[in-house]
Amino acid sequence: MAMKKFLNDPDNLVDELLSGFALAHADKVKLTESNLVVRAKAKARDKVALVTLGGSGHEPALSGYVGEGMLDISVPGEIFAAPGPPKLIEALRMAERPAGVLLIVLNHDGDVMSANMAMEMAQQEGLNVKQILTHEDISTGPRDKPEQRRGLVGCLAVIKVAGAAAEQGASLDECLEIADRMERNMATLAVAVTSATHPCTGEAISEIPQADMIIGMGQHGESGSAQSKLKTADETAEIMLDMLVEDLSIKKGDDVLLMINGVGSTTLMEQYVVLNSCKKILDSRKINMVRCAAGEFLTVQEMGGFQMFMARMDDELIKLWDAACKCPCMAI
Amino acid sequence: MLLGAAGQIRENHRRLSELDSFGGDGDHGTTMLRAMENLEKSVASSRGGQMKQLLSETAWAVMGTDGGATGPLFGSFFMGMSNGAGQEERMDCVALASMFEAALECVRKRTKAEAGDKTIMDAMIPAVEQARLAADDGFGICGILERAAEAARRGADSTKDLQPRLGRAKNAAEQSLGHEDPGAVSVSLIFKGFLKGALEDGG
Repeated sequence: MAMKKFLNDPDNLVDELLSGFALAHADKVKLTESNLVVRAKAKARDKVALVTLGGSGHEPALSGYVGEGMLDISVPGEIFAAPGPPKLIEALRMAERPAGVLLIVLNHDGDVMSANMAMEMAQQEGLNVKQILTHEDISTGPRDKPEQRRGLVGCLAVIKVAGAAAEQGASLDECLEIADRMERNMATLAVAVTSATHPCTGEAISEIPQADMIIGMGQHGESGSAQSKLKTADETAEIMLDMLVEDLSIKKGDDVLLMINGVGSTTLMEQYVVLNSCKKILDSRKINMVRCAAGEFLTVQEMGGFQMFMARMDDELIKLWDAACKCPCMAI
Repeated sequence: MLLGAAGQIRENHRRLSELDSFGGDGDHGTTMLRAMENLEKSVASSRGGQMKQLLSETAWAVMGTDGGATGPLFGSFFMGMSNGAGQEERMDCVALASMFEAALECVRKRTKAEAGDKTIMDAMIPAVEQARLAADDGFGICGILERAAEAARRGADSTKDLQPRLGRAKNAAEQSLGHEDPGAVSVSLIFKGFLKGALEDGG
């Protein structure tokens, strides 16, 4: 079937998308000449700045989280593709301040390569930047091989708690410690039921048989690990929770944050149904779901399915998760 | 030479995207085309003079392509060529082989991939090796490029039977079996373009 999307020339897609985004949220963000998304009102320079990078086509991620309490600058790339190092080093120079800069990088080859090259340049220039890599997709590698794990929606939790710490005046090392603690205690698993169309090529980015679901499919349509017939919300939630609980070694009495991230065409209705399934299952195992969320935080065009995110929380992480934030696509 | 490479990518970008759809998200051709358009712009705005400077500007332009790993990897290739270039305006045969070796070294800093991993390295490593052998055998610029381009083509062909171990493609290992790695094909097109460009320049 031919692609049905309201678009103009694909060559201008990212420009048009970012201009529209900045118009819609002019009170919170603005766009620089080279398409960096920055806060409308800059954070005080004695506080740590947070910068991230990532491909476009995943709206509202990642630029939707630029704003008070979260990011200072987001460096958007092309559709599903990281920005190159020149744009990232420009963002790091812009963010540079005595308090330092925390760079949050999702573990995908392109993002990591750009980040590593920009970090090398930043060091040569004497910029005070530290990097945290998010890699929490349990379907692509075991816990002791984090380099094999992709960065999925978990970046949002890392940005939220580190951003809150930065806003409260934490040092760069403290922000990095918070980000790292969140990162080490989180896990995500994705399930897909229908493919997305690449808006530039018009082609489906993966093939999923009509009656099937695939657990472990990545946010670029990379194939997953377990294909089966579509199951109910309860059954799907149980399979995925089991894997997340096992990966994180969650025990009776532990406090967890659970997020259901719709990736495009799975309705909010379904996300709530799945969240409710999760709550029932966690209750029966005496695991405390102390915080939860459902919504489209990081999407893949019109892909059907969701990412289930779980993190073990301590009191400090909960407090930072609850801290106020005012971003285009997240407000607490 | 640089424009020759851009020409080859332009002619073949649809095929590159199609190859990418078997293991990736089907945009490699589009990204390479954008990278080569950036390359062409940097060549057009250069005022002649030193090759080293031109290659460095080209590398920066290619790196600025917001296309995931493609920009940094191919940008590093040109950056390495620039690092390996001397201060002269024209290149000689020995210098060319050294430039390719420096390019490979620069790319190696960015990726752990080795030959056999179904990546750009499967085309790049043999091409650079053959360029060195040809230079040592006393071939001229076109002779060197001919052997390098042939080695790159064979290398790219060989990726058909390989299973990816790195990058996004590793998650779709079986789907890509029987198809070349698009990045390796891009490398072979670039070497083919270098050769065409050099032949048109009269060597």
